[in-house]
Amino acid sequence: MSNPLLQGKGDECHLLLGNEAIVRGALEAGVHVVTCYPGTPSSEVPDTFRRLGGNGKQYTLQYSVNEKVAMEVACGASLAGAKALVTMKHVGLNVAADPLFTATYTGLPGGLVVLSADDPGFHSSQNEQDNRNYARAASLPCFEPSSAQEAKDMTKEAFRVARELEQPVLLRTTTRVNHMRGAVRFGDLPASRDDLVEFKRNPLRHVPVPAVAKVRHKVLEENMARAQEIAETSPFNVSHVPAAKPKLGVIASGISRSYVLDALEEKGWSDRVCVLELGMTWPLPERLIAGFMGDLERVLVVEENDPLLENGVRAIAQKKGLGVRIEGKGAILTIQGENSTPRLVQALAAFLGEPCEEAVIEPAANLPKRPPNLCAGCSHRAVFYAARKIFGDDAIYSSDIGCYTLGMLPPLKCADFLFCMGSSISAGSGFAMVAKKPVVGFIGDSTFFHSGMTGLANALFNEMDIIVVVLDNGTTAMTGHQPNPGMIQEQLGDVMRHLDIESIVRGIGVTQVRKVSSFNLRAVEKALEEFRDMSGVRVLIAEEPCALYARRSLGKGASRVAEVIAQGEETKKCVDSFACPAFCCQNGEYSVDKTLCTGCGVCLQVAPKSFRLVKRG
Amino acid sequence: MSAQKRLRIYFTGVGGQGSLTATALLARTALYAGVDVVAGEVHGMAQRGGVVESVLLLGGWRSPKLEYGEADIILGFEPLETLRGLPYLRKGGVVFSSSDAMPPVSVALGVESYPSMDEIRERVGAVASQSHFLPCRELGMKAGAVQAGNTVLLAALCASNLLPFGVDVFEKALQIFLPEKIKAANLKALEFGQDYIANA
Ligand SMILES: Cc1ncc(C[n+]2csc(CCOP(=O)(O)OP(=O)(O)O)c2C)c(N)n1
Ligand code: SF4
Ligand code: SF4
Repeated sequence: MSNPLLQGKGDECHLLLGNEAIVRGALEAGVHVVTCYPGTPSSEVPDTFRRLGGNGKQYTLQYSVNEKVAMEVACGASLAGAKALVTMKHVGLNVAADPLFTATYTGLPGGLVVLSADDPGFHSSQNEQDNRNYARAASLPCFEPSSAQEAKDMTKEAFRVARELEQPVLLRTTTRVNHMRGAVRFGDLPASRDDLVEFKRNPLRHVPVPAVAKVRHKVLEENMARAQEIAETSPFNVSHVPAAKPKLGVIASGISRSYVLDALEEKGWSDRVCVLELGMTWPLPERLIAGFMGDLERVLVVEENDPLLENGVRAIAQKKGLGVRIEGKGAILTIQGENSTPRLVQALAAFLGEPCEEAVIEPAANLPKRPPNLCAGCSHRAVFYAARKIFGDDAIYSSDIGCYTLGMLPPLKCADFLFCMGSSISAGSGFAMVAKKPVVGFIGDSTFFHSGMTGLANALFNEMDIIVVVLDNGTTAMTGHQPNPGMIQEQLGDVMRHLDIESIVRGIGVTQVRKVSSFNLRAVEKALEEFRDMSGVRVLIAEEPCALYARRSLGKGASRVAEVIAQGEETKKCVDSFACPAFCCQNGEYSVDKTLCTGCGVCLQVAPKSFRLVKRG
Repeated sequence: MSAQKRLRIYFTGVGGQGSLTATALLARTALYAGVDVVAGEVHGMAQRGGVVESVLLLGGWRSPKLEYGEADIILGFEPLETLRGLPYLRKGGVVFSSSDAMPPVSVALGVESYPSMDEIRERVGAVASQSHFLPCRELGMKAGAVQAGNTVLLAALCASNLLPFGVDVFEKALQIFLPEKIKAANLKALEFGQDYIANA
């Protein structure tokens, strides 16, 4: 089947998700290699490349085991001459920062574009770090799209710049842009992808021993000066100056540009301020900005999160001796969360000296909530239930990142702390070093491969104490069921290979290992009971596919469903302590919602006299 | 300055219902009709059953986002979520909602109670100038597939003369954009939505 992303001709117009637009931009640029580690809101980029089926033909795609690896694979490919794209969410760039900070020194002739999908507003992340800081810290030319069209166009331009300068380029998006849909007018696809840049062996450039790196740092500085020249005249940096040439100006970057322009238009203030939109935001186009501010009395800088642009603009004004007054972060435009059109109406009203009555609208109070919850039949729930039963509050639960983080909710309460992917094992063993309590760490299969293995080796090497429970559901569930090495071979096809977690754990040297089905409550409990009375590194692998994945991708429909056969105290206890979302209670009568039940059979093991499985009828 | 009529629509529903697919379909219809369109979604976590919100802005907006009091129209795929999303509606806006309740876990367990349909209608009526509650599930099933219930709601919206395009354009869009095997049910569902508005 033809897909417009892969086959669409120049000048066609399609409605695309921001992330699909990035894919199209990369294809128009003639990308050769795509690497990634999934993470919201970046995941639809690799997932779209996968869905398109061009892997191995138009491009080579890989789901790497973590972001550092994804970055290094992409750096290697780019050094070998390919145009490479590496995608990740914002926190992923922390993991990948090490190779990146030196790849900027060696330079990458093939061209590398790094997608960092930031998440102001915490839609699905543990922090709202602003990765424009990395553009500054590592010296990366940076693009910040605000629309689907720009997402495509800037991706393509980012590749052009990356190849021209031989420097990695940062494509920094935010959730709103990744997950927006808009019309995108296509450019042409390249006639040929036969344009690898031949690698010239040159250790005095590519092996950054101090003497080499010292020279390369200078080259990096020169290249960033060239990048600034590109930014000075970039079509993505544009100013709108009304005919009356007002003395007030706004400088905005990224998605904030949209809120500024919408707010101005909505209030009819468009001809009262000059606006400078910055889409290529690092290095700052100093002359462009100084020229824009030249005749202005006051300037408002609008950006999300950190005041990076604002500080840069202040520095430019100081350097050029401009008397313009610069405003930015404050009570209205905070460093927290996202901007919005009403926030900009308020900020612009204050800036223009217009009255602005703030409509106070209360959320509808006292409505039953719909918090995220582990699905009915989720294999994680059964393991948490067993852990609670064996350890109760006597253990400390060191959690990790995945669907299973939701184990923090009552009644399971199986998460006491968490830092980042992989920390369950390393921070858990660190905690155990000091605490006088057993520590149980929970880690998913994708997270185990991401950064659990190193923590496990460390714990064993240093003779530490921890019970590790690998919640192996055979997929990367939280971010949309991407492949990872724990996925079964049938699902991985012939381009990826299944790796066996038990062999890895034993290979590292762990001897206290058990493997059970997550749905076999007795077996999980027995293993944990044994582990409770032992010390050192203990690993329980609890295996059972993610219920959602089993239904959607493995084609496993539930042939049986649970039903309640007895009301009363024992049933209530199961409902309260196990809390499968398929349980219902109307007027004191318990039942099972057959549309949700997956027939996992765990409730039967919790309360054998209360439930039974019957054929789905 | 854009000459097009500017409209902002807020969609809300429960994970797994298909409200994002519905948003994308209406966005494609708008683009097909030559209307400037931007849509925004918040893709959350994989688990089912959470609230799913999305927005559609027609007529030349740039931001893919809505705040309280900004929506001209709410399209609710579940009545409790319609009520929860009500603060997004500007005073005098219009509401189209499914009347089929999907009780959240706390309600299923009898811990919290679901507001009555009368209460929901009343609270919506206090803000909206017009509101329509449609039995989408039933009409969808009658049309041949539960999921076609979403098309009933979209068709009702398109038939209401509020959008810069009519239900005829939506019908063409269904013909063009939907896979063959679900076309018939959705075209039938479109008729039901249209009839509903005609008789409202
Ligand atoms: C450094 C980093 N990269 C990516 C993510 C996004 N992320 C959150 S959970 C998750 C994967 C979880 O998969 P798994 O460990 O298998 O658990 P499951 O969701 O399947 O239960 C990812 C990639 C993140 N939070 N941090
Ligand atoms: S998506 Fe899978 S892993 Fe996540 S809660 Fe649902 S069943 Fe569990
Ligand atoms: S079998 Fe029991 S525990 Fe499993 S999904 Fe059905 S009701 Fe829930």
